[in-house]
Amino acid sequence: MALDGWYDAASRRLARRTSRRGFLGRVGTALFGAAAVPLLPVARAGAAERAPGPPEPPDADPTSCDYWRYCAIDGFLAACCGGSVTACPAGTEMSHVTWIGTCKNPVDGKDYVISYNDCCGNSYCGRCICNRNEGDRPVYLTGKANDINWCMGTETTAYSSTVAVVLGVATESP
Amino acid sequence: MRPGIAVALAAASLARVAGAYGPETNYALHCQGCHLADGTGMPGRIPPLAGGALAPLLRAPGGRAFLARVPGVANAPLGDADLAALLDWTLDHFAAGDRPADFAPYTAEEIGRLRASPLVDVGAERRRVLDAAAAKVAR
Repeated sequence: MALDGWYDAASRRLARRTSRRGFLGRVGTALFGAAAVPLLPVARAGAAERAPGPPEPPDADPTSCDYWRYCAIDGFLAACCGGSVTACPAGTEMSHVTWIGTCKNPVDGKDYVISYNDCCGNSYCGRCICNRNEGDRPVYLTGKANDINWCMGTETTAYSSTVAVVLGVATESP
Repeated sequence: MRPGIAVALAAASLARVAGAYGPETNYALHCQGCHLADGTGMPGRIPPLAGGALAPLLRAPGGRAFLARVPGVANAPLGDADLAALLDWTLDHFAAGDRPADFAPYTAEEIGRLRASPLVDVGAERRRVLDAAAAKVAR
């Protein structure tokens, strides 16, 4: 068959011109390049929290709903879904608009302002569902409700999971 | 509701709650989720506050009242004094140069009065305020 013959000849030409190592190297470059695109939002998300961060208890477990930062969360923990407490899983985009609350740090006793950004782009993660809701308001106070899907203004509105980024210490009224 | 209770609640809403958060934290808790930390919002969906976006309203007759009556402000779960401080902080932070020279800080009494008459049609009222300002300039 003509097509079969052409394919055979083309494969032989390719084999003569290229080495197996070079081919794998280019495949690796292509794969890394492809992975770098969805990883970009992760890098941006990780930069959102300023150093030094708040003190952490020795038994801190960001994959547990009991972790202090999750006092007002409603969703799947990004830390259980391939991301971390401050970074969305690869392939998802962190929402800019977000539900923000405060949680008391168990080490220094201070209230910290926590931003619960949703990670958008994949289907429901389905792991580590947490629903603590301190300070949550009914949905008619949209900006103070964590029941709504905050995947707005992102490439897709598909909700995947949620991070808990510390924005800073809450300051009291003068 | 008994009158005594109503008076007590009104007094509480005018007073600043002890131990409450300051305006910078209240901005984070009640505004930043949508308007974002830099006040840029999401043009077309969430009104920006920074970059001169509020200048036309701040200079328009009726714009001062409009800003205190928009749903995000009037419905914020804060007392009048804290809300006045939050609105003033927001303008100081994002629109300091956009205010006319005689634009005084909001007071708790003013906020309490304005938020008591919420906007029924926000878009229409915004257009009415801006159109009235444009007509005044044209005269």
